[in-house]
Amino acid sequence: MSALLTEAFIGSLIFGALTAGIPLLLAGLGEQISEKAGVLNIGLEGMMLFGAYAGFAVAYSYSSFTIGFLAGGLAGLATACLMALLCVVWSMNQIVVGIALTLGAEGLTALLHHFQFSRSYPRLPKAETLPLPGLSELPVVGGALFDRNLLVYLAILLTVFMVWVFNRTQLGLNLQAAGDKPAALDAAGVSVKGTRFAAVLCTGFLGGLGGAYMSMVGGGLFLPFMTGGAGFIAIVLAMLARGHPLWVLIGAVLFGVSLSLATALQVAGVNIPTDVIQMLPFAMVILVLIIFARHSYLPPALGIPYHRGER
Amino acid sequence: MQRLAKQFGGLVMGSVFAAGLATAGLAAEVSSIAILVPEQGTDYGWNQQGVDAARTVAEQQGIDFIPAEGLGYGDVRPTLRELAEEGAGLMIAHASGYNTAAPEIAAETGIPVAIVDRPEDIKAGLVADYTLHGHEGAYMAGQLAAMLTRTGTVGIVVSGEPPSWNSQSAGFAQGVKAANGDVKIIYAVIGPAAYGDAAGGRRVTESVISAGADIIFGQGNGSSFGMIQAVETTPAVDGDKVWFIDVIGDKSSLDKGYLLSSVLWNMVPVYNAMVEDLKADTFGTKSYKIQLSDDSVKLLQTDHIPAEAWDSMMALRDQIIAGEVTVDLITDAQEVRGLMTSVEAQE
Repeated sequence: MSALLTEAFIGSLIFGALTAGIPLLLAGLGEQISEKAGVLNIGLEGMMLFGAYAGFAVAYSYSSFTIGFLAGGLAGLATACLMALLCVVWSMNQIVVGIALTLGAEGLTALLHHFQFSRSYPRLPKAETLPLPGLSELPVVGGALFDRNLLVYLAILLTVFMVWVFNRTQLGLNLQAAGDKPAALDAAGVSVKGTRFAAVLCTGFLGGLGGAYMSMVGGGLFLPFMTGGAGFIAIVLAMLARGHPLWVLIGAVLFGVSLSLATALQVAGVNIPTDVIQMLPFAMVILVLIIFARHSYLPPALGIPYHRGER
Repeated sequence: MQRLAKQFGGLVMGSVFAAGLATAGLAAEVSSIAILVPEQGTDYGWNQQGVDAARTVAEQQGIDFIPAEGLGYGDVRPTLRELAEEGAGLMIAHASGYNTAAPEIAAETGIPVAIVDRPEDIKAGLVADYTLHGHEGAYMAGQLAAMLTRTGTVGIVVSGEPPSWNSQSAGFAQGVKAANGDVKIIYAVIGPAAYGDAAGGRRVTESVISAGADIIFGQGNGSSFGMIQAVETTPAVDGDKVWFIDVIGDKSSLDKGYLLSSVLWNMVPVYNAMVEDLKADTFGTKSYKIQLSDDSVKLLQTDHIPAEAWDSMMALRDQIIAGEVTVDLITDAQEVRGLMTSVEAQE
């Protein structure tokens, strides 16, 4: 075991933990915005999948990670636009529409992959990184934490920004009112549907960005169904975090760390069933969030379409 | 008169019933072969080998071929029913995740199905199992890896622990140990069923490389591409390149210089045997296997394998076929882990 505790091995585990956690963080933060506004965005998995496909396809075509990330975010946003139209404007069932969007995304991206990439399986080079001066040279953790793609730093900064928006701004209050007491928001002269529509678009952009990160940085390629339920895990993170962006960050990092821990235990040769080891990430995140985030609450109007004049 | 008519009607009905029974007893004619695969049949691996083999068998047998690709790992009952309605004569459910649904639909529709990883569920005339084991080929790959490793550590990365994967992991580990007992073997599973998890495949493989492995034996369907991505972008601890040994398919055409070999499978003999068994009314009464002797299992030769090493692999192949070298068939995950160096060290 001790022979394995090299700087390279520990560094790779930390690197892997953050790489696995960032898509969940981005998608989870996005989901939190729409949940705050009262829309349960079950279609997040589909938005991530579209983002993963578009991000990879564009990054591969234009040899640019930046344009790829932008394309991934926009693909998620376009999918979210459909969700918002059906659920917010036309008040259709959010769960049914979300599931339909996810299934549609799975089928369509698989089809696109089949025609474009299934004979060549192109792969992207290693993602560009931005080393933070001073920090990236730290032993063990330096390279793994502070020599990362720009999107990693932006995702963490976004968490702090969202804390500020939720707690200190009128926009945050409007979002909360759209989820708590939409009629009150309406009475105050703010469009409930407009607020919810914008919130769902934000969710789509961040979900798409998370998917793009997964395909472009995590895998370096796109495969059908490659999000593998990450969107649903992000929904769970957002629900358990109940309106607190920092808890989404903690949950996402914890999930990534647990995945790395599961790998470390196997590489170290701990002879317990793999199923038990693989259960670790899910069990740990649920346990921690239930214990520490249990006093939070979910918006009372979550999942309920708003009709003006109804109580 | 009315009574006579009733008796005549009964006679006719009885004759039809008897004729039906007699027909059921005759050998079945197979008019078409359908295959259901979770991913596209273009993955240079499990899915492609299955689809290609079924197509070849259909051509050889002069019957229709019905592929159903990219079905994912969810519920395939609607697809199975649809294929049954289309008149499929044999439905091959080519994923371990389908082995609950397929026998159910076989019982419901009467159309015979072939499943994997559930040999205990075979049913004469209705359900056959073709859990295949390339363990002898993996044994050869293990010996090759032990011969060519620079760091003295090799890695096994798998996307799950179905019997087919387990037998090859065990075969590889036995081969490594037989060639050089000092070589360390690191074993890691991406997830319980992470067959399409490319990001997971890359993450886990990078960690295994960082732990010292310079040759990765990867089993993973779509997630294999994540493993290959890790091999292509992560240097070994000695700074030199990492080699990849694949399974089932031939990814030579996609190789960027890192593919050392592959344990190739050919499922044509297996599917052919199924069709013949259907014709002979022996379907679902025996197991099917792939083996070195008929080249349904073989090691891929690439330019990266030194000639001397390849010659010894071919000599080893002959020894295995002759029974001079035996490879234990191990399918239990716990026993597979017991073969790995790091686990042994703890025990």
